[in-house]
Amino acid sequence: MTDSAMTDRSRAFASLLDTPWRDRDTDRAVAWNPEAPADTAWRSLASLHAAIGAWQATLAASADTPCGWVLSTPDPMAFCAALIAAWERGDRVILPADTRPATLEALDADNAGRLGDLPGALTASPGAHAPSWGELAPQRVAVTLYTSGSTGEPQRLDKTFAQLDAELAMHAALWPLDARLVLSQVSHQHIYGLLFGILRPLCERAPFAADACRYPETLHAWLSRWQAQTRREAVLISAPPTLERLPETLDWPAVGGILSGIHSSGAPLAFDAAAHAERLLGCAVREVYGSSETGGIAWRIQQRDTRWTPLPGVDVRADDDQQLWLRTPWLPEPAAWTAQADRVVIEAQRFQLLGRTDRIAKVGGKRVSLTAFDHALGALPGVRRAHCLALPRRDGRLGAVVALDPETIPHTHEARRALIRRLRDALAPRFENAVLPRYWRFVEHWPSDAQGKLGAACLARLFADLDDPRAPRWLDDVADGPNRAHLTLEVPERLAYLDGHFDDQPVVPGVVMVRWALHAARDRLGCHGVCRDMTRVKFPLLLLPGERAVLALETTPQATSTRLRFTLTSQRGVHATGTLTLVAPEESSHA
Amino acid sequence: MTSELEQELKQLIIDTLELEDVTPEDIDPDEPLFVEGLGLDSIDALELGLALQKRYGIKLEADSDETRHHFRNLRTLAALVEERRNA
Repeated sequence: MTDSAMTDRSRAFASLLDTPWRDRDTDRAVAWNPEAPADTAWRSLASLHAAIGAWQATLAASADTPCGWVLSTPDPMAFCAALIAAWERGDRVILPADTRPATLEALDADNAGRLGDLPGALTASPGAHAPSWGELAPQRVAVTLYTSGSTGEPQRLDKTFAQLDAELAMHAALWPLDARLVLSQVSHQHIYGLLFGILRPLCERAPFAADACRYPETLHAWLSRWQAQTRREAVLISAPPTLERLPETLDWPAVGGILSGIHSSGAPLAFDAAAHAERLLGCAVREVYGSSETGGIAWRIQQRDTRWTPLPGVDVRADDDQQLWLRTPWLPEPAAWTAQADRVVIEAQRFQLLGRTDRIAKVGGKRVSLTAFDHALGALPGVRRAHCLALPRRDGRLGAVVALDPETIPHTHEARRALIRRLRDALAPRFENAVLPRYWRFVEHWPSDAQGKLGAACLARLFADLDDPRAPRWLDDVADGPNRAHLTLEVPERLAYLDGHFDDQPVVPGVVMVRWALHAARDRLGCHGVCRDMTRVKFPLLLLPGERAVLALETTPQATSTRLRFTLTSQRGVHATGTLTLVAPEESSHA
Repeated sequence: MTSELEQELKQLIIDTLELEDVTPEDIDPDEPLFVEGLGLDSIDALELGLALQKRYGIKLEADSDETRHHFRNLRTLAALVEERRNA
């Protein structure tokens, strides 16, 4: 690194308390709009100022400062403007983890107004308003975040400006952005996306993409546009679910060399997935290990070393039970050691993550270690990874989510039964019969939420068919774009509809498959219409209990309706296909 | 051949014990219900005992040799129900 590069770098970074958004040079670019033509693609600091002013006009008309605001919007520029507007006014910002009604109602107790894309939320005032600058203080709470609640209720976490600044300065020194474009595929409602996708570019004076980069196709298109317009590099902020699902089919070599860095966080990335992403995107994946509570703890590039290197300033040690303890500058008490729920082996300043500390469940009154089950299952041939859990059913019977090699995936009732028997037999010497998992979900991709975690909501979906005899067993879904998705389903042997169609051979009636397609289009693609018309609907092959199938959906918006094409395919062939015309509920009542 | 009662008991076992991967055809009337074969366990035995009592009014000693005999496979279970139901 040259001396001049060093100086440029130190000049580029400013902490939040140094308010880089107040720069006098308002022509400077803050964001880049990948969907706009090249000559209008840049969003300047002046336009951020206008947006901040517009939000402040709204806030001033609505509540006295200091107060709290619940903010949620997928638009990074609007988010950034609303955040700074509240901060400069002296307010703090609450970031809900999701926008489900229950989540938002729980926040109402805080008596904070809603901003952004939420029901009943305020939006920025129209017209021109100059921003007004206030005073930020190190110990003031900047944001209140919530954990994803993978182990129960979401936890509330207050982050002060001093805490955020300490972490941002460390990132800027370790991995300087150097004016590269930041493309984010993760939500800024969580700490990782907030720091890496919004606050880092803001403080390092690097542009961020003015929209979330949701799909591999978008990433590909934006990289190629960015390169054509600027000849500069970009950095990708991503997570395991997205990196694991990068399709081979896009022309990745055409955008090779544009990405100079990829970050992944939220959950560990499988070794193969890291290699796959590096091969397609032409850049190594730098994983960050941390939690909402602690912030970043360590990082690694798996292909070079699977061990984790603590981030500068973070001290780690292991106790006699191999539990990880750490001391970090981005916690309220930087001098205090805090225990993590992970087990580690520390070797030469680096550590291996061994997994979570023991999770204990009781099955029929017997104590069992879920961690031991996870490890035992994970070590069996054909099994990539396993997660066992006590289900809220009689006697706390266990469920198991098991990721398998593709060739081990069962496609029929018989294959599934044989596999379950093989797994149970393999576990039998080590565990009592009664505590063995009873409910099995076999997946090819590790199921996870947008943060890459197998959280409570995800687990509930995997086992939802236990309580809903009309639902298929959901195993995976992948969005292939805003209008396309494919879901992996299994036909539960206890599906209510199986009865009474044929005497000898229970099958899934065609109308049920159509219904599943409609429900999936509603849940996955936000397609809320009522079915008015069906064309070219065929059921070429019977769909049997226990059979595994992929439901592919594609919607095409029409003038007054939406066309939904669906195909349900198993290893044996196509079971259902057709096109449905959906209209808005009120339209159909006139028809 | 599976009798109507055996068919009924198969469904009772599947429903009571929430055996999600088992269909009535999978239960071989001569195969052991517990450990090997169907793979039921001690918790299932208690559940099944309770279900038999509810449906057919049959009372079993929790841990007797006699109970173990009746619970050996579907045929012995059907024989038990047949005998006690008519008694």
